[in-house]
Amino acid sequence: MSIHKPSIEEISMLQLSDSFFPSGMYTTSSGLEALYYSNRKITDTDGLRDLIKVYLEHQIGPADCSALGNSYEHIQRKDLQKLVEVDNTIFSMKLIEEVRNASTRSGTQVLRCVGSFRTDNSILNGYQEAVRDKRASGVYPVALAVSGNALGIPKYKAALMMLYGFSVSMVGAALRLGVLQHFDGQRIIHELKPTISESVEKNIDRALTSMWQFAPDIDLLQIAHERMSSKMFIT
Amino acid sequence: MSSKRIPRLGIGGPVGSGKTMLIEQVVPRLSSRGYKAGIVSNDVVSREDAERMRRNLATERGLMSEDLVVGLATGGCPHTAVREDPSMNISVVEDMESKNRDLDLILIESGGDNITTTFSPALADYFIYIIDVSGGDKYPRKRGLGIESCDLLVINKIDIAPYVGADLSVMERDAKAIRGSKPYVFVN
Repeated sequence: MSIHKPSIEEISMLQLSDSFFPSGMYTTSSGLEALYYSNRKITDTDGLRDLIKVYLEHQIGPADCSALGNSYEHIQRKDLQKLVEVDNTIFSMKLIEEVRNASTRSGTQVLRCVGSFRTDNSILNGYQEAVRDKRASGVYPVALAVSGNALGIPKYKAALMMLYGFSVSMVGAALRLGVLQHFDGQRIIHELKPTISESVEKNIDRALTSMWQFAPDIDLLQIAHERMSSKMFIT
Repeated sequence: MSSKRIPRLGIGGPVGSGKTMLIEQVVPRLSSRGYKAGIVSNDVVSREDAERMRRNLATERGLMSEDLVVGLATGGCPHTAVREDPSMNISVVEDMESKNRDLDLILIESGGDNITTTFSPALADYFIYIIDVSGGDKYPRKRGLGIESCDLLVINKIDIAPYVGADLSVMERDAKAIRGSKPYVFVN
Protein backbone atom coordinates (compact mmCIF):
# COMPACT_ATOMS: atom_id res chain seq x y z
CA MET A 1 0.00 0.00 0.00
CA SER A 2 1.55 3.29 -1.01
CA ILE A 3 1.22 6.17 1.36
CA HIS A 4 1.02 9.67 0.02
CA LYS A 5 3.77 11.68 1.63
CA PRO A 6 2.55 15.23 2.02
CA SER A 7 4.69 17.70 0.16
CA ILE A 8 6.20 20.78 1.77
CA GLU A 9 4.10 22.81 -0.66
CA GLU A 10 0.88 21.25 0.66
CA ILE A 11 1.86 22.12 4.20
CA SER A 12 2.81 25.65 3.07
CA MET A 13 -0.69 26.00 1.71
CA LEU A 14 -2.05 25.08 5.14
CA GLN A 15 0.27 27.64 6.72
CA LEU A 16 -0.81 30.52 4.52
CA SER A 17 -4.51 29.74 4.79
CA ASP A 18 -4.41 29.30 8.56
CA SER A 19 -6.27 32.07 10.38
CA PHE A 20 -3.22 32.27 12.64
CA PHE A 21 -1.13 33.51 9.72
CA PRO A 22 -0.66 37.26 10.28
CA SER A 23 -2.51 38.82 7.37
CA GLY A 24 -4.73 41.20 9.36
CA MET A 25 -7.85 39.81 7.69
CA TYR A 26 -9.62 39.50 11.07
CA THR A 27 -9.98 43.30 11.06
CA THR A 28 -12.17 43.31 7.92
CA SER A 29 -15.88 42.83 7.45
CA SER A 30 -16.00 43.94 3.79
CA GLY A 31 -18.91 46.24 4.56
CA LEU A 32 -20.94 43.67 6.52
CA GLU A 33 -20.74 45.88 9.59
CA ALA A 34 -22.43 48.72 7.71
CA LEU A 35 -25.18 46.37 6.61
CA TYR A 36 -25.60 45.18 10.19
CA TYR A 37 -26.27 48.72 11.39
CA SER A 38 -28.53 49.62 8.46
CA ASN A 39 -32.20 48.93 8.01
CA ARG A 40 -31.32 46.01 5.73
CA LYS A 41 -29.74 43.87 8.42
CA ILE A 42 -29.23 40.24 7.50
CA THR A 43 -31.39 38.20 9.81
CA ASP A 44 -30.74 34.68 8.71
CA THR A 45 -27.74 32.58 7.84
CA ASP A 46 -28.97 31.85 4.31
CA GLY A 47 -28.97 35.61 3.69
CA LEU A 48 -25.33 35.82 4.75
CA ARG A 49 -24.37 32.90 2.56
CA ASP A 50 -26.09 34.49 -0.43
CA LEU A 51 -24.36 37.80 0.25
CA ILE A 52 -20.93 36.17 0.33
CA LYS A 53 -21.82 34.45 -2.96
CA VAL A 54 -22.35 37.85 -4.55
CA TYR A 55 -18.90 39.00 -3.42
CA LEU A 56 -17.31 35.81 -4.77
CA GLU A 57 -19.12 35.84 -8.10
CA HIS A 58 -19.12 39.57 -8.85
CA GLN A 59 -16.08 41.04 -7.15
CA ILE A 60 -13.45 38.79 -5.63
CA GLY A 61 -13.75 36.13 -8.34
CA PRO A 62 -13.59 38.15 -11.58
CA ALA A 63 -11.22 40.78 -10.15
CA ASP A 64 -8.96 39.48 -7.35
CA CYS A 65 -8.83 35.87 -8.55
CA SER A 66 -8.01 37.02 -12.08
CA ALA A 67 -5.29 39.29 -10.71
CA LEU A 68 -3.81 36.40 -8.79
CA GLY A 69 -3.85 34.18 -11.89
CA ASN A 70 -2.22 36.84 -14.03
CA SER A 71 0.37 37.46 -11.36
CA TYR A 72 1.33 33.79 -11.35
CA GLU A 73 1.80 33.84 -15.14
CA HIS A 74 4.23 36.75 -14.94
CA ILE A 75 5.98 35.30 -11.91
CA GLN A 76 6.67 32.10 -13.87
CA ARG A 77 8.25 34.22 -16.62
CA LYS A 78 10.10 36.29 -13.99
CA ASP A 79 8.59 39.42 -15.54
CA LEU A 80 8.54 41.91 -12.67
CA GLN A 81 7.37 44.76 -14.86
CA LYS A 82 4.25 42.90 -15.95
CA LEU A 83 3.66 41.84 -12.35
CA VAL A 84 3.73 45.50 -11.28
CA GLU A 85 1.26 46.22 -14.07
CA VAL A 86 -1.14 43.64 -12.62
CA ASP A 87 -0.66 45.24 -9.20
CA ASN A 88 -1.46 48.68 -10.52
CA THR A 89 -4.51 47.41 -12.40
CA ILE A 90 -6.18 45.56 -9.55
CA PHE A 91 -5.31 48.41 -7.19
CA SER A 92 -7.11 50.86 -9.44
CA MET A 93 -10.17 48.60 -9.45
CA LYS A 94 -10.55 48.85 -5.68
CA LEU A 95 -12.85 51.83 -5.72
CA ILE A 96 -13.30 52.36 -2.00
CA GLU A 97 -10.37 53.86 -0.08
CA GLU A 98 -10.89 51.72 3.04
CA VAL A 99 -10.86 48.58 0.91
CA ARG A 100 -7.75 49.66 -1.00
CA ASN A 101 -5.93 50.47 2.23
CA ALA A 102 -6.90 47.19 3.87
CA SER A 103 -5.82 45.20 0.82
CA THR A 104 -2.44 46.87 0.54
CA ARG A 105 -1.79 46.71 4.29
CA SER A 106 -2.62 42.99 4.33
CA GLY A 107 -0.65 42.32 1.20
CA THR A 108 2.52 44.08 2.27
CA GLN A 109 2.52 42.38 5.64
CA VAL A 110 1.99 38.92 4.11
CA LEU A 111 4.87 39.65 1.76
CA ARG A 112 7.13 40.72 4.62
CA CYS A 113 6.24 37.72 6.72
CA VAL A 114 6.96 35.20 3.97
CA GLY A 115 9.98 37.22 2.87
CA SER A 116 11.39 36.88 6.37
CA PHE A 117 11.82 33.12 5.96
CA ARG A 118 12.04 32.86 2.14
CA THR A 119 14.85 35.31 1.69
CA ASP A 120 16.23 33.90 -1.53
CA ASN A 121 13.28 34.30 -3.86
CA SER A 122 14.25 36.87 -6.49
CA ILE A 123 10.73 37.74 -7.65
CA LEU A 124 9.54 38.22 -4.06
CA ASN A 125 12.53 40.42 -3.32
CA GLY A 126 11.99 42.37 -6.53
CA TYR A 127 8.30 42.89 -5.86
CA GLN A 128 8.99 43.97 -2.27
CA GLU A 129 11.43 46.52 -3.61
CA ALA A 130 8.80 47.75 -6.06
CA VAL A 131 6.40 48.19 -3.14
CA ARG A 132 9.05 50.06 -1.12
CA ASP A 133 9.72 52.32 -4.10
CA LYS A 134 5.97 52.82 -4.53
CA ARG A 135 5.97 51.44 -8.07
CA ALA A 136 3.62 48.78 -6.72
CA SER A 137 1.04 48.95 -3.94
CA GLY A 138 1.42 45.45 -2.44
CA VAL A 139 -2.27 44.79 -3.07
CA TYR A 140 -3.35 41.50 -1.50
CA PRO A 141 -4.07 39.23 -4.53
CA VAL A 142 -0.69 40.01 -6.09
CA ALA A 143 1.17 39.80 -2.77
CA LEU A 144 -0.47 36.43 -2.09
CA ALA A 145 0.52 35.20 -5.54
CA VAL A 146 4.13 36.23 -4.99
CA SER A 147 4.22 34.75 -1.49
CA GLY A 148 2.43 31.57 -2.55
CA ASN A 149 4.78 31.06 -5.46
CA ALA A 150 7.78 31.56 -3.19
CA LEU A 151 6.48 28.65 -1.10
CA GLY A 152 5.84 26.45 -4.13
CA ILE A 153 2.05 26.70 -3.89
CA PRO A 154 0.49 26.25 -7.33
CA LYS A 155 -1.73 28.92 -8.85
CA TYR A 156 -5.05 27.09 -8.46
CA LYS A 157 -4.41 26.29 -4.83
CA ALA A 158 -3.40 29.87 -4.08
CA ALA A 159 -6.65 31.04 -5.65
CA LEU A 160 -8.64 28.57 -3.55
CA MET A 161 -6.83 29.82 -0.47
CA MET A 162 -7.70 33.42 -1.28
CA LEU A 163 -11.38 32.85 -1.93
CA TYR A 164 -11.73 30.50 1.01
CA GLY A 165 -9.91 32.97 3.25
CA PHE A 166 -12.19 35.78 2.13
CA SER A 167 -15.28 33.68 2.88
CA VAL A 168 -13.97 32.76 6.32
CA SER A 169 -13.18 36.41 7.13
CA MET A 170 -16.76 37.38 6.34
CA VAL A 171 -18.17 34.54 8.42
CA GLY A 172 -15.80 35.55 11.22
CA ALA A 173 -17.04 39.12 11.06
CA ALA A 174 -20.63 37.90 11.12
CA LEU A 175 -19.86 35.83 14.22
CA ARG A 176 -18.43 38.82 16.02
CA LEU A 177 -21.39 40.96 14.99
CA GLY A 178 -23.69 38.32 16.45
CA VAL A 179 -25.40 37.55 13.15
CA LEU A 180 -24.97 33.80 13.59
CA GLN A 181 -23.50 31.16 15.89
CA HIS A 182 -20.37 29.15 15.21
CA PHE A 183 -21.97 25.95 13.85
CA ASP A 184 -24.00 28.01 11.38
CA GLY A 185 -20.78 29.68 10.32
CA GLN A 186 -19.25 26.34 9.44
CA ARG A 187 -22.41 25.27 7.61
CA ILE A 188 -22.22 28.40 5.46
CA ILE A 189 -18.56 27.80 4.67
CA HIS A 190 -19.41 24.26 3.62
CA GLU A 191 -22.26 25.49 1.42
CA LEU A 192 -19.98 28.02 -0.25
CA LYS A 193 -17.47 25.43 -1.37
CA PRO A 194 -19.05 24.90 -4.83
CA THR A 195 -19.16 28.68 -5.41
CA ILE A 196 -15.53 29.02 -4.38
CA SER A 197 -14.53 26.19 -6.69
CA GLU A 198 -16.52 27.54 -9.64
CA SER A 199 -15.19 31.07 -9.13
CA VAL A 200 -11.63 29.83 -9.27
CA GLU A 201 -12.28 27.74 -12.35
CA LYS A 202 -14.02 30.59 -14.14
CA ASN A 203 -11.56 33.35 -13.30
CA ILE A 204 -8.07 32.00 -12.67
CA ASP A 205 -7.07 32.07 -16.34
CA ARG A 206 -8.92 35.25 -17.25
CA ALA A 207 -6.82 37.74 -19.21
CA LEU A 208 -5.86 40.99 -17.51
CA THR A 209 -7.87 42.94 -20.06
CA SER A 210 -10.96 40.89 -19.19
CA MET A 211 -10.82 41.47 -15.43
CA TRP A 212 -14.08 42.91 -14.18
CA GLN A 213 -16.23 43.50 -11.15
CA PHE A 214 -19.78 44.74 -10.87
CA ALA A 215 -21.46 44.85 -7.48
CA PRO A 216 -22.66 48.45 -7.02
CA ASP A 217 -24.76 47.64 -3.95
CA ILE A 218 -21.66 46.24 -2.28
CA ASP A 219 -19.68 49.32 -3.29
CA LEU A 220 -22.36 51.48 -1.66
CA LEU A 221 -22.22 49.32 1.45
CA GLN A 222 -18.47 49.77 1.68
CA ILE A 223 -18.83 53.52 1.16
CA ALA A 224 -21.39 53.55 3.98
CA HIS A 225 -18.90 51.72 6.17
CA GLU A 226 -16.27 54.36 5.50
CA ARG A 227 -18.64 56.99 6.83
CA MET A 228 -19.57 55.17 10.03
CA SER A 229 -18.46 57.14 13.07
CA SER A 230 -18.27 54.08 15.25
CA LYS A 231 -16.91 50.84 13.87
CA MET A 232 -15.32 47.61 14.92
CA PHE A 233 -13.74 46.75 11.58
CA ILE A 234 -11.47 48.61 9.19
CA THR A 235 -13.72 47.73 6.23
CA MET B 1 19.94 55.95 3.20
CA SER B 2 19.79 55.01 6.87
CA SER B 3 16.41 54.32 8.39
CA LYS B 4 16.31 55.16 12.04
CA ARG B 5 13.93 52.97 13.99
CA ILE B 6 11.70 55.26 15.98
CA PRO B 7 11.12 53.78 19.46
CA ARG B 8 7.65 52.41 20.09
CA LEU B 9 5.86 52.23 23.40
CA GLY B 10 2.74 50.14 23.88
CA ILE B 11 0.06 51.11 26.38
CA GLY B 12 -2.22 48.25 27.44
CA GLY B 13 -4.87 47.79 30.08
CA PRO B 14 -8.52 47.01 30.74
CA VAL B 15 -11.35 49.17 29.51
CA GLY B 16 -11.55 52.41 31.47
CA SER B 17 -8.25 51.96 33.30
CA GLY B 18 -6.89 55.26 32.02
CA LYS B 19 -4.83 54.44 28.92
CA THR B 20 -6.01 57.43 26.93
CA MET B 21 -5.73 59.75 29.89
CA LEU B 22 -2.18 58.53 30.49
CA ILE B 23 -1.26 59.42 26.92
CA GLU B 24 -2.94 62.81 27.24
CA GLN B 25 -0.84 63.48 30.35
CA VAL B 26 2.45 62.18 28.95
CA VAL B 27 2.45 63.81 25.53
CA PRO B 28 2.36 67.44 26.79
CA ARG B 29 5.22 66.66 29.18
CA LEU B 30 7.22 65.14 26.34
CA SER B 31 6.45 68.13 24.17
CA SER B 32 7.63 70.56 26.85
CA ARG B 33 10.99 68.73 26.81
CA GLY B 34 11.25 68.95 23.06
CA TYR B 35 10.18 65.41 22.20
CA LYS B 36 7.80 64.74 19.36
CA ALA B 37 5.39 61.80 19.58
CA GLY B 38 2.93 60.06 17.32
CA ILE B 39 -0.07 58.08 18.57
CA VAL B 40 -1.84 55.03 17.18
CA SER B 41 -5.00 54.38 19.12
CA ASN B 42 -6.63 50.96 18.74
CA ASP B 43 -10.24 50.95 19.66
CA VAL B 44 -12.61 48.08 19.77
CA VAL B 45 -15.66 50.02 18.83
CA SER B 46 -15.05 53.54 17.75
CA ARG B 47 -12.47 56.08 16.79
CA GLU B 48 -13.68 58.20 19.66
CA ASP B 49 -10.49 57.88 21.67
CA ALA B 50 -8.32 58.87 18.73
CA GLU B 51 -10.58 61.80 17.92
CA ARG B 52 -10.63 62.94 21.52
CA MET B 53 -6.84 62.83 21.68
CA ARG B 54 -6.56 64.60 18.35
CA ARG B 55 -8.86 67.32 19.63
CA ASN B 56 -7.14 67.67 23.00
CA LEU B 57 -3.55 67.42 21.90
CA ALA B 58 -3.56 68.71 18.35
CA THR B 59 -6.54 70.88 17.52
CA GLU B 60 -6.93 72.70 20.82
CA ARG B 61 -3.45 72.70 22.29
CA GLY B 62 -1.37 72.54 19.15
CA LEU B 63 1.08 70.07 20.69
CA MET B 64 1.18 67.90 17.60
CA SER B 65 -0.24 67.85 14.12
CA GLU B 66 -3.55 66.09 13.68
CA ASP B 67 -2.14 63.47 11.33
CA LEU B 68 0.01 62.17 14.19
CA VAL B 69 -3.04 60.76 15.98
CA VAL B 70 -4.38 57.77 14.07
CA GLY B 71 -7.30 55.55 15.08
CA LEU B 72 -7.35 51.90 14.04
CA ALA B 73 -10.33 49.57 14.40
CA THR B 74 -9.29 46.04 15.31
CA GLY B 75 -12.23 43.82 14.42
CA GLY B 76 -13.19 43.25 18.03
CA CYS B 77 -9.87 41.58 18.77
CA PRO B 78 -7.75 44.03 20.78
CA HIS B 79 -5.11 41.59 21.95
CA THR B 80 -4.74 40.00 18.52
CA ALA B 81 -4.07 43.43 17.05
CA VAL B 82 -1.08 44.02 19.32
CA ARG B 83 0.25 40.50 19.70
CA GLU B 84 -0.82 37.48 17.60
CA ASP B 85 -1.30 39.47 14.41
CA PRO B 86 -0.06 43.04 14.74
CA SER B 87 0.22 43.41 10.96
CA MET B 88 -2.30 46.28 10.69
CA ASN B 89 -0.74 48.17 13.57
CA ILE B 90 2.73 47.65 12.14
CA SER B 91 1.53 48.92 8.77
CA VAL B 92 0.02 52.07 10.31
CA VAL B 93 3.12 52.68 12.46
CA GLU B 94 5.43 52.28 9.49
CA ASP B 95 3.31 54.72 7.49
CA MET B 96 3.65 57.21 10.31
CA GLU B 97 7.41 56.61 10.52
CA SER B 98 7.96 57.06 6.82
CA LYS B 99 6.07 60.36 6.75
CA ASN B 100 7.50 61.71 10.00
CA ARG B 101 11.18 60.83 10.27
CA ASP B 102 11.65 63.41 13.05
CA LEU B 103 9.44 61.61 15.58
CA ASP B 104 11.08 60.65 18.85
CA LEU B 105 8.47 58.16 19.99
CA ILE B 106 5.37 56.37 18.75
CA LEU B 107 2.76 55.43 21.32
CA ILE B 108 0.46 52.51 20.54
CA GLU B 109 -2.63 52.33 22.69
CA SER B 110 -4.33 48.94 22.65
CA GLY B 111 -8.07 48.60 22.85
CA GLY B 112 -9.38 47.81 26.33
CA ASP B 113 -8.73 44.16 27.06
CA ASN B 114 -8.11 41.66 29.82
CA ILE B 115 -5.07 41.19 32.06
CA THR B 116 -3.39 38.74 29.69
CA THR B 117 -2.67 41.39 27.05
CA THR B 118 0.94 41.82 26.05
CA PHE B 119 2.56 43.50 23.07
CA SER B 120 4.46 41.70 20.36
CA PRO B 121 8.10 42.82 20.35
CA ALA B 122 7.65 43.22 16.60
CA LEU B 123 5.25 46.05 17.35
CA ALA B 124 6.47 47.69 20.57
CA ASP B 125 9.92 47.99 22.12
CA TYR B 126 8.46 48.50 25.57
CA PHE B 127 5.02 48.41 27.03
CA ILE B 128 3.21 49.94 29.95
CA TYR B 129 0.28 48.10 31.50
CA ILE B 130 -2.24 50.18 33.40
CA ILE B 131 -4.85 48.93 35.86
CA ASP B 132 -7.02 50.94 38.17
CA VAL B 133 -8.17 50.41 41.75
CA SER B 134 -11.84 50.08 40.81
CA GLY B 135 -10.98 46.55 39.69
CA GLY B 136 -10.35 45.82 43.34
CA ASP B 137 -7.18 44.97 45.24
CA LYS B 138 -7.26 41.42 43.92
CA TYR B 139 -5.13 42.92 41.13
CA PRO B 140 -2.19 42.67 40.73
CA ARG B 141 -2.35 39.53 42.92
CA LYS B 142 -4.43 37.76 40.30
CA ARG B 143 -1.44 38.10 38.01
CA GLY B 144 -1.94 37.92 34.24
CA LEU B 145 0.74 38.28 31.57
CA GLY B 146 0.11 41.98 31.14
CA ILE B 147 0.61 42.69 34.83
CA GLU B 148 3.60 40.38 35.17
CA SER B 149 5.62 41.10 32.10
CA CYS B 150 5.09 44.78 31.27
CA ASP B 151 8.04 47.15 31.53
CA LEU B 152 6.09 49.45 33.84
CA LEU B 153 2.93 48.66 35.78
CA VAL B 154 0.76 51.70 36.45
CA ILE B 155 -1.88 51.50 39.17
CA ASN B 156 -4.32 54.34 38.57
CA LYS B 157 -7.14 56.21 40.31
CA ILE B 158 -5.70 55.75 43.80
CA ASP B 159 -7.88 58.58 45.13
CA ILE B 160 -11.00 56.43 44.90
CA ALA B 161 -9.45 53.40 46.61
CA PRO B 162 -11.29 54.01 49.92
CA TYR B 163 -14.62 54.20 48.09
CA VAL B 164 -14.18 50.90 46.29
CA GLY B 165 -12.69 48.98 49.17
CA ALA B 166 -9.26 48.65 47.61
CA ASP B 167 -6.33 48.50 50.04
CA LEU B 168 -3.35 50.19 48.40
CA SER B 169 -0.88 48.55 50.78
CA VAL B 170 -2.12 45.15 49.65
CA MET B 171 -1.74 46.16 46.01
CA GLU B 172 1.79 47.39 46.65
CA ARG B 173 2.77 44.26 48.51
CA ASP B 174 1.44 42.10 45.68
CA ALA B 175 3.01 44.24 42.96
CA LYS B 176 6.42 43.78 44.63
CA ALA B 177 5.91 40.04 45.04
CA ILE B 178 4.78 39.51 41.47
CA ARG B 179 7.05 41.88 39.64
CA GLY B 180 10.23 41.52 41.68
CA SER B 181 12.62 44.25 40.59
CA LYS B 182 10.44 45.42 37.70
CA PRO B 183 8.99 48.89 38.26
CA TYR B 184 5.45 49.86 39.23
CA VAL B 185 3.93 53.19 40.13
CA PHE B 186 0.77 54.45 41.80
CA VAL B 187 -0.86 57.42 40.09
CA ASN B 188 -3.93 59.49 40.10
